[in-house]
Amino acid sequence: MEFAGYDLDDGIYDEMLQPNGEPREHSRLLYETLCQLSSDEINSIQERVTRSFSNEGISFTVYGDAEANERIIPVDCLPRILPPSEWRHLEIGLTQRLAALNRFLNDVYGEARIIDDGVIPADVVRGCPQYRSEMCGVAVPHGTWVAICGTDLVRTNQGFQVLEDNLRVPSGVSYMIANRKVVKSSLRRLYRSSRVRGVEHYGRLLQKTLRELSPSGRNDPCIALLTPGVYNSAFYEHMFLAREIGAELVEGRDLLVNGGFVYMRTTTGLRRVDVVYRRVDDDFLDPLVFREDSLLGVPGLIHAYKLGNVAVVNAPGTGIADDKSVYAYVPDMIRYYLGEEPILLNVETHLCRRPEELEYTLDNLENLVVKRVGESGGYGMLVGPHSTLEERDAYAEQVRADPADFISQPVLPLSRAPCLIEGRPEPRHVDLRPFVLHGTETRLVPGAFCRVALRRGSLVVNSSQGGGGKDLWVLED
Amino acid sequence: MLSRSAQGLYWMGRYLERAQHLCRLLQLQVEALVDRPVREIHLGWSRIYGALNRQPPFGGIQFDRRDNYTLADSYTLAGDLTFERSNPDSVWNCFSLGRENARQMRHRISAEMWICLNLAYLRIQKLDIEDIWKTSPENFYAETVEEIHTFSGVAATTMYRDEGWHFMQLGHCIERAQISVALFLSQIATAKLYQDSPDGDCTTLLRLYHAFDAYDRKHSVEIQPHQVLDLLAADPLLPNSLCRSLDSAAAELAAIAHGPSAASSAAASRLAGRVQALIRHEWPDRKDREAMLRQIGEHCRGLHDQIMTAYIDYSVEDAPVH
Repeated sequence: MEFAGYDLDDGIYDEMLQPNGEPREHSRLLYETLCQLSSDEINSIQERVTRSFSNEGISFTVYGDAEANERIIPVDCLPRILPPSEWRHLEIGLTQRLAALNRFLNDVYGEARIIDDGVIPADVVRGCPQYRSEMCGVAVPHGTWVAICGTDLVRTNQGFQVLEDNLRVPSGVSYMIANRKVVKSSLRRLYRSSRVRGVEHYGRLLQKTLRELSPSGRNDPCIALLTPGVYNSAFYEHMFLAREIGAELVEGRDLLVNGGFVYMRTTTGLRRVDVVYRRVDDDFLDPLVFREDSLLGVPGLIHAYKLGNVAVVNAPGTGIADDKSVYAYVPDMIRYYLGEEPILLNVETHLCRRPEELEYTLDNLENLVVKRVGESGGYGMLVGPHSTLEERDAYAEQVRADPADFISQPVLPLSRAPCLIEGRPEPRHVDLRPFVLHGTETRLVPGAFCRVALRRGSLVVNSSQGGGGKDLWVLED
Repeated sequence: MLSRSAQGLYWMGRYLERAQHLCRLLQLQVEALVDRPVREIHLGWSRIYGALNRQPPFGGIQFDRRDNYTLADSYTLAGDLTFERSNPDSVWNCFSLGRENARQMRHRISAEMWICLNLAYLRIQKLDIEDIWKTSPENFYAETVEEIHTFSGVAATTMYRDEGWHFMQLGHCIERAQISVALFLSQIATAKLYQDSPDGDCTTLLRLYHAFDAYDRKHSVEIQPHQVLDLLAADPLLPNSLCRSLDSAAAELAAIAHGPSAASSAAASRLAGRVQALIRHEWPDRKDREAMLRQIGEHCRGLHDQIMTAYIDYSVEDAPVH
């Protein structure tokens, strides 16, 4: 495999190669190994990796595409490597960030000191569609609102930045583990020589975290993973995690609330459930409290939760902290709650709710990425440089109609990593989503779901928008 | 175990058994196309459609002595029974539903079972009747049966023997019993229609149940339809006999702890015992096989309903709390 002709750009950080074409020190072994492989060999590795995903049915669903009920997630066989020092930096930064976010949630659903102290405007918080007034005054176990966090990180020449926090039902961890399993077995000798830290124990850490959050006095808590069902885009992951943590995979119709306790319907009768790891959005969790037309949720669940008879993880209402407007205030939260400077920086963000930032956004649409504050998965956004004038005009109209629903950010030169495209290495933009767990303490596996924008020049890494995955290797010290 | 999981595994067992049975029937039927007389081929198709309680796509099987017509019709019928998406009984649909239940219950079966089933599914997905008809359609059916056998073998060596296992096996046994009853009834009906066929093509049935050797040992090389039926229905030593399917269903049910209502579970056990007693003790003494098969068929359907009531669709009002 040859890197001759591999496109390096001074303005874009390459994860494997330095601007002079030499491999970065931590990627040298990978680079040299790849250079020794013939084209046939590397193609056969890629084929094996792809086939393995297909055989195992590692899939996701693309909404609105009847043919894609079980689309196999594309995976690139070339791993991305992080040296130990970079991972340490991320680990500390992510731990700090999650601590602040949990403090923030405790605060805004409690005394709301951060609002009274003028750090964040009340309307940003209480005007956010994800703000759940029903959760005010609820004491969540150990103050842990967010037990499972998937933070999207990108790298530019200036270093790592947080693109967004996913605090409701973050997904992708199953692909991290699946990528590892298949890439490890395809690049066996390289993997062994590289001294890569394992990620396979994620399930154990997740189970430990969920058990810590179960109502007190329950020695052997019963954990249920609540899925919206087989048509959900992440159903594969729900099934995978249920197996990993030894939980029952339940749908709303399998659960009921009686006398303030949650039960699931088993073949021998009703069994009490102590922890609901929900992969259902707030809106659909409990039709008695949120959307009354929801068929996915469990009537009475929030009542049982408020009584402390069941843990719901992540807690309802966490969406307020990963709202794209609130995101802009996370560095201030870190300073406010922890008295520390943020270790991981945010991407510069313009809130269109502010008139001057709205004007700036509208004047610079062709250079910005504009997103709806409540959307995720790459839906509902405009990538300025890749848009047509008509698309920008139509989008501008939407922004003007409801400015508070939009934010804008500069188009970041996301780092790139070599991917095997038609038998040759070509650079593609990547990000990474590490998963942080917090019950009574914070836990991370050294790894992440590394997403790749497989289309040439594309910056959109979401699986639903043509993105794929890569294995991320964090090296031992 | 979650009731819905038990239900999923139960149906997985049923659909895969149904797919396997139909494949085996079709394998023997398309083998007959090579050298059997046209009338016997027609009898075979009638028997299959009768067992499924379906009408063929063009309304009925007409007796036509010309080979060309028979082969053209056979292509259409095989397509209808194998890949037709709108036919709920086609191999494709039964296999897909078995696999879909497995997909939704992946956390309840072993990883090896899933991969085995998924690989078979990926293979079948790419094919249609034209593909398999070009060369040797019997190979397709044989291969599919083999894949389901492999799945069963993998399940036997890798699946944890909890309730999930027993529900899967229960589905498998009840399905086998029900389709055997339907097939035997269809055999009796077609034999009446094709009276000129000396043994009503019972040899195919013996092959279907891998019972040739057992028949030879027990009787003689001359095929007597009533002896064939007795062997396939009531011989407890024949692996796929109706009797053995019912014995296994009763044993699987006994291995499952009783459901939320002891009375409801006991009713299911009693029914399983009753139908077992019918085939074991009454069959030898009763002359009217057809009536008896209908009675057994009704009991099987009742048993299915009672299992659903006892373990899956029970009322939560009086259910015990654990």
